[in-house]
Amino acid sequence: MRTIINSVRFVWVILALPALFQLHGWWTGAIDTMDMLHPTGETSARLMIAAMLIGPLAGVLGPRRWLLWLLARRRALGVAAFGYAVLHLVFYAIDMGSLDAILGELPIASIWTGWLALALMLPMALTSNQRSMLWLRTAWKRVQQLAYPAAVLTLLHWWWVHDGATAAVAHFAPLAFLWLLLALRRLRPIRPSPQAGV
Amino acid sequence: MRSLFIAAAFGLASATALSLSAPAEATGKVKCQAGPQSGWKNVEALKAQLVREGWKVTKAKVDGGCYEVYGVLPTGEKVEAYFHPVSFEKLYVAQRGKVLFRKQGY
Ligand code: HEM
Repeated sequence: MRTIINSVRFVWVILALPALFQLHGWWTGAIDTMDMLHPTGETSARLMIAAMLIGPLAGVLGPRRWLLWLLARRRALGVAAFGYAVLHLVFYAIDMGSLDAILGELPIASIWTGWLALALMLPMALTSNQRSMLWLRTAWKRVQQLAYPAAVLTLLHWWWVHDGATAAVAHFAPLAFLWLLLALRRLRPIRPSPQAGV
Repeated sequence: MRSLFIAAAFGLASATALSLSAPAEATGKVKCQAGPQSGWKNVEALKAQLVREGWKVTKAKVDGGCYEVYGVLPTGEKVEAYFHPVSFEKLYVAQRGKVLFRKQGY
């Protein structure tokens, strides 16, 4: 059991499962093309949030076995988030039907925020491998920090395209909560230990 | 480890089920107090009327007591629009969340 869970392939299979269900639904006609945007976009955003939760969670809870397990697979979550975003774009393109129609929607705030989020995710996805880590060294972390603006843009995209904030905000709330917790911790003055100054 | 695996599998499964069971729901944007559905005009008549006006209609359903139509305007914009189910009056039109038209009071 444990060897299965810890294998790289297992993680990819799990991450690909929602796509299989979604594509199967579309293929059989159960899901219209326009309705594919919802599951693909939401899965992408959820994976992005999940990947971004692991670090702060480790910061709050300290090193736990399961967190370390997730931490070792965080890159896969990020790459999968990008994969679902690309799938999302593919179905958007099919639904729109022409380049003219796609370009026509580009000036709308809810749409260019989506494009920009995807554009920021691209360098992250392209460098999510061992070779790039070695090659970029300290710059690698900076590339991955594009996740922060990408997340903000995704939140706005979701909010505006739906002109309802509830689902978007509910998804990002855990991340915001953990960041707040960590920020408060950093702000709190460090109390000297009882031995200090004795 | 085992419980983590079950938790993860359960989480992903329910997330998948959730995203499949709640397709592009768009509620609460516009509300129509139009009385019982027996007094409404047929949605097919609304679709036919819109097509005559040059719209392409992708989908139509009931939302917030109104008819909600997904389609393409004669001018080419892909929109989501709300109509009163008794008068077929146009109440709201939005393109990707950008409001193109909203009737006063709605
Ligand atoms: C490439 C540019 C993108 C375009 C053109 C685009 C387009 C769209 C459109 C048209 C919708 C509305 C779907 C509907 O009405 O049901 C939508 C929804 C959504 N998109 Fe995107 N999107 C893009 C990128 C992204 C990215 C990068 C993410 C996530 C990381 C994302 C996440 C979402 C989410 C969460 C929703 C809401 C799903 C729902 O509840 O219906 N999108 N997108």
